[in-house]
Amino acid sequence: MRLQEYGPTASGGRAALLFGVGSGLASGLAFGALMSWQGLLESHGTRSWAAFALYGAITGSLLGAVVGRRPYGPAVSAAGGLLLGLLGWVVWWLTVDPLLHGDAPSWSIAAATAAQPQLVGSLLQGTLAGTLFHLLTVRLGVREPADAKRRTPSARVVIVGGGFGGVSAARRFERLNVRGHRFAVTLISDSNFLLFTPMLAEVASGGLEAQHISAPVRAAVPHTRFRHGRVTAIDVAGRTVRLGDEVVPYDHLVLAVGSVPHFLDLPGMAEHAFTLKSLADAARLRDRVLSLLERADQETDAAERARLLTFVVAGGGFAGTEAVAELYDLTHDVLHFYPGIDPDEPRFILIHSGKGILPELSQSLGGYALRKLEARGIAFRLGVRASAATEREVRLNDGTSIPTATFVWTAGNRPSPLLKDLPGERGRGGSVVVDATLRAFELDGVWAIGDCAQIPDADGNPYPPTAQHAMREGKAVADNIAAVVRKRRPKPFRFTTIGIFVALGHRTAAGEIRGRPFSGLTAWLMWRGIYLAKLPGIERRVRVLLDWGLDLVFPRDIVVTTAPADAPVPAQETR
Amino acid sequence: MTTAVREGAPPSYVLNGALPGALAGIAGGLVFGAALASLDGLPAVAALVRSDLAWVGFALHLAIAILVGALFGLLVVHQRIRSSELLFWGLAYGMFWWFLGTLTLLPLLSGQPMTWSLKTAQAELPSLLGHLYYGAVTAVAFVLLRRDGHAAVRDHLRPSTLLRGLLAAAMVGGLLVLAFGVGAGARLGWLPVVAVCMGIGYPLVFTGQAEGTGPALIRGAAYGFVWWVVVSLTLPQLVDGDRLDWSQPTVAAATTRLPPYLLAGAGIAAVFGWLGGLARNLFVDDVRLLHHATGTRGLRVLAYGALSGLLGGIVFGFVWGTVDVLPTVARLVGARGAVAGWVVHLVIAQIIGVSYALLFRGRSYDLASGLGWGLSYGFFWWVFGALTLLPVLLGQPPRWNATAIATAFPGLIGHLAYGAGLGAAFAWLEHRENPWWVARSDTEAVRATARRDQILGSAPALWILTAQIALTVPVLVARP
Repeated sequence: MRLQEYGPTASGGRAALLFGVGSGLASGLAFGALMSWQGLLESHGTRSWAAFALYGAITGSLLGAVVGRRPYGPAVSAAGGLLLGLLGWVVWWLTVDPLLHGDAPSWSIAAATAAQPQLVGSLLQGTLAGTLFHLLTVRLGVREPADAKRRTPSARVVIVGGGFGGVSAARRFERLNVRGHRFAVTLISDSNFLLFTPMLAEVASGGLEAQHISAPVRAAVPHTRFRHGRVTAIDVAGRTVRLGDEVVPYDHLVLAVGSVPHFLDLPGMAEHAFTLKSLADAARLRDRVLSLLERADQETDAAERARLLTFVVAGGGFAGTEAVAELYDLTHDVLHFYPGIDPDEPRFILIHSGKGILPELSQSLGGYALRKLEARGIAFRLGVRASAATEREVRLNDGTSIPTATFVWTAGNRPSPLLKDLPGERGRGGSVVVDATLRAFELDGVWAIGDCAQIPDADGNPYPPTAQHAMREGKAVADNIAAVVRKRRPKPFRFTTIGIFVALGHRTAAGEIRGRPFSGLTAWLMWRGIYLAKLPGIERRVRVLLDWGLDLVFPRDIVVTTAPADAPVPAQETR
Repeated sequence: MTTAVREGAPPSYVLNGALPGALAGIAGGLVFGAALASLDGLPAVAALVRSDLAWVGFALHLAIAILVGALFGLLVVHQRIRSSELLFWGLAYGMFWWFLGTLTLLPLLSGQPMTWSLKTAQAELPSLLGHLYYGAVTAVAFVLLRRDGHAAVRDHLRPSTLLRGLLAAAMVGGLLVLAFGVGAGARLGWLPVVAVCMGIGYPLVFTGQAEGTGPALIRGAAYGFVWWVVVSLTLPQLVDGDRLDWSQPTVAAATTRLPPYLLAGAGIAAVFGWLGGLARNLFVDDVRLLHHATGTRGLRVLAYGALSGLLGGIVFGFVWGTVDVLPTVARLVGARGAVAGWVVHLVIAQIIGVSYALLFRGRSYDLASGLGWGLSYGFFWWVFGALTLLPVLLGQPPRWNATAIATAFPGLIGHLAYGAGLGAAFAWLEHRENPWWVARSDTEAVRATARRDQILGSAPALWILTAQIALTVPVLVARP
C-alpha cells in the first residue's frame, strides 16, 4: 500500500509551522509598520507595530497548522490567510484587545466600526501571510524527498482473517496512519465480508436476510489493502505468507483466522452434520428444514415422517441453544403452509455433554433457558455425547440413537487448519499461544487474536472467544505493533467481559451485563437493541430493523433457494 | 500526485494568462470606468498623477484595470482554475482589490492619509460595487477569451440545464411568495419574478459537476448577492435614466432586499442540485456518472456533527450571552431565562452541526477548508436563522433592514465564530475517521486528486467572497 496524501492531523511538521510563523511575522511587520506610519495603531502604544507583528506571527502559526501539508496553490493559501485574518480580527481585535484594555467585548457594530482599520489590516496581512506561506513552502519546503520518505512504510503488516479481530486491527492501523504512522497494511480474507455471527441463527431460521448481517470488508476498512483469497502457508522464518501463487512479505503478521467446526474425528460427522459458522451454513440449514417439511407433508410412512421431522442439535452452548430455538421458531411459524403436518409432530432435541446448558452463563440463567425451551417442547439429552452420524440417524455414546434427517453440530470448534503447520507453542485445540501482549511465543513478528489465539487474562485463564473480545484484541494488537515499531514496550491486553446474551427464540432471551442477570422479554429487547447497535454500519442496522419489523406483519418465507438435496418426491395423495 | 490529474503541457503564463487577462481587464475596466464616470469618481483616480481631469482618470483607471486583469490571468493560469469556476474568483478578486487598491494603495500613492476607517469605507462604497462589476466582467471576458470558455458556456446553457434552473426558481419563488407575498409593496418586492431570471442564469455559474447541497448553498448565497447588486442597486437606476447612486444611504436602504436575495440564491442552488441528482438517477443510463458520496458515513457523521456543533455553540453562546440574546432564544420554546436560552441555543447549535455534517462531509481537504466551509455556513445561518427564522418564529417581522441588521451584528460575529469552530472541529474529527484523500494506489490517487481539485476549484473563492461580504456588513448598514 502506498499512502499518498496526508491530512492535517498528521501534522505538516515543524517546517510548516516555522513557515507559517515566518510568513505571519513578515506580513505582520509590513502591515504593522504601515499602520503605525499612518497612525492607525496609536491607541496601542509606541511599539504597536511590534504588537501587530506578534499578532501576525500567532495567526501565521495557525496558518502553518491548518493548511495541509501540500498547499494547493497560492490563491488557496491566500484564501486561508484571509479567513484566518478575519478570525484573528474577531478573536484579537474584537475580543482580546478590549479585555486587555479592561473593557468587556461587545461585538457590536460600534465596536466593529472602531476596529475597522484593524479589520482591513488583518484581512490584507492575512492574505499576504497566506501568499508568503505558499511561496516559502514551495520554494524552501523539501517536498519531494520528504514525501518519498513518507511513502516508505515503517512496517508491512499482514492481517490474515476478515472477522471481528482482523477488521478491528485494520481499522486501528488506519487510525494510526492518520496520526502519523506509516504502516502498509494488507488484510487477507477468504470472505470479502465481515459476518455478524451473533445473528447467524436468525438467518438460519429465515428471520433475517443473509446479506443483512454481513458488511463488506472493503467498506469497513477503506484505506487498507484488501486481498480476497486464502492464505495457504505461512513461512515464519522468511516472514512471508503464501496467497495462491503469490508470496506476500510481512514485518508483522496478525493471525485472526478464527475457528472452524471440529468433529473430533467422530464417524460420519463431517459428512452428515450441518454446521452453523457461515452464511452458507445458515442458508443451507434453512433450506434443509423447509425441504424436509415439504417432504414430510407428503410422506405417508409414519416412521419416516418422524425421522424427517426430528431436528437434533449437538452442543448446549450459545450456538447450539440459539440454533435449536430458532429452528423451533422457524418450523412452527411456517407449519400453517403444510396442512399435512400436525403441530405436535416436529421434534427438537438438544444433546449436551454437561448437566446443564449454556455453561457461559450462570447456573440460574442456564436453568431458566432449559425450562423455557422444555416448556415449548424442546427435548434435552444431557450428559451424553453424539458419537456418530449417518444419513438416517445420530448415535449417542450411551448406546442409543435418534433417527433424524437434520443433525446440527455446534459441539466443537478448532482454529483454522492454516495454523496446523505453524511452529511455536500451541494451546487448547491447536490455538496459537500468545503472551499478554498478544505476541506469539517463539514466533518473531507473529501476533494472534480472536478465536485462533489462546490469550491469558490477568489470572492466566484464556479469554473467551467472543466478538467483543476479538474487537478489543484487534485494537490492542495494532497499538502493540505500533509500540514495537517505535521501540517501545507493548502493553498487556486486559478486558473484562461487558455482557453476554443468548436468544431463546420467540421474544425470549437470557443474559447478563457485568454479572447482573436478565431474562425473558426484557433480555430479548436488550439482546436486540445491543446487537442491533453493534451491527457494522447504519445501513445494516436499518435493514435488520426492517427485517424484524416485517417479521411482525408478514409470515416467514418458505422459498427454498438451493437445489434439493434429494430427488424430488412424487406427489401423493394427501392423507 | 497532483500532476496525475493536472497533467498536460504547462500553459504559457503570458499567452494564456497575462494577455487574455489584460484584455479581459479592459472589458472590466470599461464597465467599471463607465460606472465611475456616472458616479463622478474619475477625478479621484486622476489624483494619482496629480490631475483632476476625468479623461486622465479614465485612462489611468483603464491602465490599472489592464494591469490588475493581467495579474488575474496569471493567477488563473497558475491555479489552473477552470472556466466554469471563474466568476466567483473574479468577484472575490475584485472585492479584494477594493480593500487593497481603493482603501490602501490609492490614498498612499496619491499622498492622502490612509485611514481604513468606516467613514472612508462608506465613502468608497461606490468603488466597492464598481470593483465587484470589474471582477465579474473581467472573469466573464476571460472565460470568453479562453479556448475552452465558449464550450463551457455552451455546455452550461443546454436546454435541460436551463429548464432545471427554471424549475428550481419556480419552486423557490413559489415558496417565497407563499411565505412573504409578492408585488412592489410586499416585503420581497419583485424578487419572486427576479428569481425566474436567477434560476435561468444559475446554470452559468454552476460548475457542471455534482457538488452537494452544502457547497450549493454557499455558492447560491454568493450568487444571490450578485443579483442583489444588479437588481436592487443598478438596474432600476439605469432603467430610470438616472445617474448611478451607490452612496451608503442608498445601499443601506437597499439592504431590506439583501437577505431575501441571499436566501433565494441559496434556495435556487440547492433545489437546482437536487433536481440534478434526481435527473441523474432517473435518466442517466451510464451509472459511472452517478455520484458516489465520500466522507464519514452512518451514525458517526451525526455524532461528529452534533459534537462539532456543540463546540461551536459554546463559543457562540458566550457572544450571545454577553449581548443578552439568550433569553430571546429561550422564548423559541416558550421558556424564559438565560439558562433555558443556553439549553435551547446548544440544542439548535447541535442540530445545525448535524446538518453541516450531512451537507459538508467529505468536502474538507484540510482544516483551512473546514474553516472556509464553516465560516460560510455560519454566515448563511446568520441570514437564514438570526435575520429571518428567529424573528419569524417569535412572531416578529424578519430583520431585513439596515437598522435591524446593524443591531444583529453581534449575532453575525457569533455565527462566524460558531461556523469556524464547527467547520474546524468537524474537519478534524472526519479526518481522524476517514481521510478520503489517503490513496492506496495511483488509480485511487487520481480519483482523490480529482475530487480535491473539484472542491478547491471554486470553493476558496466562495469562502473569501462570503467572508468579505460579511466583513462589509458594517460598511453597508452602520450609520455614517
